[in-house]
Amino acid sequence: MISIENEKLRNAVKIVVPFLAVPMLVVLGATLFDERRHIIISIGVALLALVLFAAGYEKKPIGSRRMIIAAVIIAFCVAGRFIPFFKPITALTVISAVYLGGETGFLIGAMSAFLSNFYFGQGPWTPFQMLAWGMIGLIAGILAKPLKSHRAVLLVYGVLAGIFYSLIMDVWTVVWYDGSFRAELYLTAIITALPHTIMYSVSNCIFMWFMAKPLGEKLERVKIKYRI
Amino acid sequence: MRTFADSNPIVVSVYFVAVTSIAMFSANPVISAISLIGAIVLFLMTNEKKEVSTHLFSLLLFAVMAVVNPLVSHNGATVLFVINNNPITLEAFIYGVCTSATVVAVLYWFRSFTIVMTSDKLLYLFGAFSPKLALILSMALRYVSLFSVQLKKVQASQKALGLYKDDNIIDSFKGGMRVFSIMITWALENGIITADSMTARGYGTGKRSRFSLFHFKIDDVILLCMIPIFSAVALYGIVGAKFEFYPYFSVPEISMKLAAAYISYGVMILLPVIINIKEELKWKYLKSKI
Repeated sequence: MISIENEKLRNAVKIVVPFLAVPMLVVLGATLFDERRHIIISIGVALLALVLFAAGYEKKPIGSRRMIIAAVIIAFCVAGRFIPFFKPITALTVISAVYLGGETGFLIGAMSAFLSNFYFGQGPWTPFQMLAWGMIGLIAGILAKPLKSHRAVLLVYGVLAGIFYSLIMDVWTVVWYDGSFRAELYLTAIITALPHTIMYSVSNCIFMWFMAKPLGEKLERVKIKYRI
Repeated sequence: MRTFADSNPIVVSVYFVAVTSIAMFSANPVISAISLIGAIVLFLMTNEKKEVSTHLFSLLLFAVMAVVNPLVSHNGATVLFVINNNPITLEAFIYGVCTSATVVAVLYWFRSFTIVMTSDKLLYLFGAFSPKLALILSMALRYVSLFSVQLKKVQASQKALGLYKDDNIIDSFKGGMRVFSIMITWALENGIITADSMTARGYGTGKRSRFSLFHFKIDDVILLCMIPIFSAVALYGIVGAKFEFYPYFSVPEISMKLAAAYISYGVMILLPVIINIKEELKWKYLKSKI
């Protein structure tokens, strides 16, 4: 695996890979291949993004304490997915990302999706779920300061995260069904998924409202007490 | 007895990736049909639960997706009937049936994949890529069951303290939040103790190795060599022959290439079934000799 010594360059890669490289690959793939082959490209892109993140993660000297804390939160996420209708994964990922940083947030989101799918069924959708939840965690880590100081911002982020997750999964639904991306099918998928989107957003808000204080305080305390 | 599920996880996952990606890549109704049949046969063989309800969802999905395409897509020359000034065409309907066959086939492949590839096998694959991630995953998997045991203990002690009331919604919610808070504290502290214990025993000082029960046997190597050969023959034939859906549905002429592609894909689909039947026969034969 390639190691990046330069601090600035490493930070640049962290932003360029998810926000530039992946979308560009999607566009290039769409123009080079003919119709109905996009599904392979999109799965490849999702996997590539995850591999890149994992490579960056493995490089960084991460303490075993932080690693175990991540495993604990992942276990809570997996257990929480058994709650009918209301899923606390996003809330747990976002709150942990705010206190433990974006990298750990990405790890928690992506790995919760991967691990809980052992119970709920693995499929070609797994990389997409991993990417969606990972990104939600990563962005929460970047926006840690405003999210930590105002609970209203946290709730707005919860609503946006629910919509974001739903939109990504709708892209996946359309590409999987049709092989290529069609706007009218995407619109149909968004409309049919609307109850789910509302459900995600509402449950994100509820869980964030109630979990922000107990979970946040404890993560903060553990961070100070054990200098993670 | 060494069934398909007992093969090396690398071989099994390469097989699933090859089979599903050819089905998704091909845009070929014949390949989709072969794939769907093979997927259902394998699922019936691997799945221990023999309930009809497991198939009902797939059937429903198939029906819904087959109908959606003609409703949103109005391409095609043969108009069947008109709804709200929107023509419903035969071609769009055929296209819908073909795509939903592919989708349902892939769904079935992944259902078998979930049954065959248990978490230890996937962790074995993950460990080759990143031992640290595999460790995190296996620890999280262990924590899920540990936490549910601890949760029951905490709830019982709360009840014994008289802090739990089931008949009042607000009270039981407050109790639930308290239990959650206790669980978080306990889990984090417990995790820190585990981490310190690991550090004290020298975790992270050397290169991380992993233990696994999986080895490459001669059967695995043969299977691993067969998959790319069959895939290459199948892909070579498929790429040349294109099914046209719009404006008219047209079928490409059957050539030697295409026939070879269908046969090799069919054989590849049946590989697990063949292996399982062969092992079953061998087992019966050995038993009869006793």
